Amino acid sequence: MPPAAPDAPLDQAAVLAALRARVARLEGVGRAQHEAGAIPVCEGLPLPGGGLARAAVHEVLATEPGCGAAFCAVLLARTGGTVLWIASGRDGLLAWPPGLARCGLVPTNLVLIRAERWPDALWAMEEALRCPAVTGALLALAWEPHRQAGDGTLDLTATRRLQLAAETGGALGLLLRPDAARLEHTAAATRWRVGPRHAAGAGHGLDDPRWQLELLRARGGRPGGPWAVTWRAAAGRLDLDAEETASVARTGRDASA
Amino acid sequence: MTGPPHPALRLPTDSAIVRRFLALYLPCLATDRLRRMEPDLPADRPLATWAPSGNRQVLVAVDQVAATAGLRPGQALADAQTIAPHLLLRPADPEGDARALHALALWARCYTPLTAVDPPDGLLLDITGCDHLLGGEAALLRDALAQLQRAGITARGAVAGAAATSAALARARGDNPIAVSGIEAAVAAPLPLGPALRLPPTMLADLARLGLRRVCDLLDQPRGPLARRFGQELLDRLDAVTGQRRTAIRPVLPPPDVAVVQDLLEPIITRTGIDAVLDRLLDALCARLRQAGLGARRVVLLAWRVDGMVQEVAIGTGRPVREAAHLRRLFAERLERLEPGLGFERMALEARATEPMAAGTQVGLGIDGRRDAATAEALAQLLDRLAQRLRVQRIASIASHWPERSVAALGPHATPPVMPVGWAAAALPVLLLRRPAPLEAMVALLPDGPPSLLRWHGGTHRVHWAEGPQRLEPEWWRDRPGLLRRDYYRVELASGARLWICRTGPPEATRWLLHGHLP
Repeated sequence: MPPAAPDAPLDQAAVLAALRARVARLEGVGRAQHEAGAIPVCEGLPLPGGGLARAAVHEVLATEPGCGAAFCAVLLARTGGTVLWIASGRDGLLAWPPGLARCGLVPTNLVLIRAERWPDALWAMEEALRCPAVTGALLALAWEPHRQAGDGTLDLTATRRLQLAAETGGALGLLLRPDAARLEHTAAATRWRVGPRHAAGAGHGLDDPRWQLELLRARGGRPGGPWAVTWRAAAGRLDLDAEETASVARTGRDASA
Repeated sequence: MTGPPHPALRLPTDSAIVRRFLALYLPCLATDRLRRMEPDLPADRPLATWAPSGNRQVLVAVDQVAATAGLRPGQALADAQTIAPHLLLRPADPEGDARALHALALWARCYTPLTAVDPPDGLLLDITGCDHLLGGEAALLRDALAQLQRAGITARGAVAGAAATSAALARARGDNPIAVSGIEAAVAAPLPLGPALRLPPTMLADLARLGLRRVCDLLDQPRGPLARRFGQELLDRLDAVTGQRRTAIRPVLPPPDVAVVQDLLEPIITRTGIDAVLDRLLDALCARLRQAGLGARRVVLLAWRVDGMVQEVAIGTGRPVREAAHLRRLFAERLERLEPGLGFERMALEARATEPMAAGTQVGLGIDGRRDAATAEALAQLLDRLAQRLRVQRIASIASHWPERSVAALGPHATPPVMPVGWAAAALPVLLLRRPAPLEAMVALLPDGPPSLLRWHGGTHRVHWAEGPQRLEPEWWRDRPGLLRRDYYRVELASGARLWICRTGPPEATRWLLHGHLP
């Protein structure tokens, strides 16, 4: 069989897809049984696999507590089963079910856990992810700065453990943490940053929160964003604001230039 | 014509099992306890406790040495110090004594599950059917007295067919007698009235004036006049001691539904040893539960230490369980609480709460139709494990508009609540501050208007948009008076952060509080 001519047009997309499938087969040995489909995030976002993969751990960096918690609640509600919300530390911030219910996280599916010690929080998260009856688990790091040394450290080892647990149990794992300047490398499948975005024109009210999403890291995909999205609670979906996204991207490019 | 038979001749009428009771009398409990707590007290000096009585100070309890020296309870403190100049004195602590007695009753559960306190200085054990484990009633009594002796507690004991009879024998006789059932009246007859019936001193003196000094003296008297002269109480006690009136003992703990026990030849100290014993006990307990068709909701591990202390580790489960592996995982989180000290010589597992459980409910991960049941089971086991160490809650709503009060925490296994009306409709914060945090300086354009500037986290933020107010009045039927109403605003700062803030306080001194974060 003659070798392909060097100038023959390669079907780049097909080759990439085949390679990705092969890598996924190699990586996700135990994952095939949890193919319940990825969690959709938002229509129009170019995400690998079409959304957040189940049986994996994802990081969410929040610049404000409110939007971070709400974004995670939206994602957890879409897993469609029992969700464990693990709050670590002696934080004065409580997850508030009446508000979370508006994000789709109904109290029937929600179990709240408070772990004051950091090792306990990690243990609880791992146990939760390992359990096949749990579809989603969130570990919320404390917002208050006065923490003991070692609290809230999510290094490669810890996240790798969580990732393995998630692959066993098939749940969606979310790590909600404040957006800090320095972040260590983790084994999370994706890393997101979510922040509030104040409305360009006044008069929209406060009913439909607007966020700015950014995909900082993605295993097997490329980072993207920032995207401007609006959470429409009544419809239960995130809408991409194309115009604003374009303007945000423009200002971002201008700023970096 | 036949009259009622003499009480002493009545045969046992109990058609059911003949019950056997062991009474332990601890004459020096208070002082023994002191010596146990303060091992440095010299053993050869008399020890007593005292308490104020009216405007005098009197002895309450004396130990053996002091009694030999001629001291007795009720004596004035000054007299006692004259008689025995070396007397060691401690203030009396009746509550501490009661606690010690209760602890001893728990310890005595190593002989029988039915143990009761007999205040102020006695224990009662229902040893029906338990004596063969130690080779008979006499051996059991000897063992109990030896154990107490080793722990430094003076004790006398007796076994009889009625609780009051055994208590009277233990108090009135020093030779630790064992009386067969059915002749309670005969064995009680020669006992002196004071220790046998535990009568108050004044009544005892009155009886002695009439020449009534022994139980048989009272039995010979007509009952009517006795009741009129001394009250029904005396006859009740007399009937109890002679076995005419059966009194049930009230156990310190209700008997467990299912229990297994392991005696250890050598005291164990190491975690490995404890784990091994626990494994054996769990297997035995689960086998017993399976036989009985029960599942445990609450299991307690009891460990008797060599020095007479009993330690407990309890676990609870959300649904009936009889799977040894699950129970083992639950205990694994808790075992570090045990303090073996010099070692445990006996361990027991008790299922204190059980529920009927159909066979085969506990399957592994099922398929098809069993999927839901298996999932629920897996979730229940997970929540059980987490709840051993952490606070696990489900949330229900309460009919209250006051934010802090509108949710109620349920246990992890509570029925999942339905969606309360109005939760999803209103724009509420997703995160609430446990305690509203004061905001430093707020500028409002109008006295009743929303703020236009607020200082928070050390920075000044312009308010970009505000909605409100939503006025919440305190619930006067629940709140303490003086709680102030709150006006809630939803604000969006120039940075985009959305906050739930409120204004409170009297008009001349309003304060602003941050209470939550909106999505």
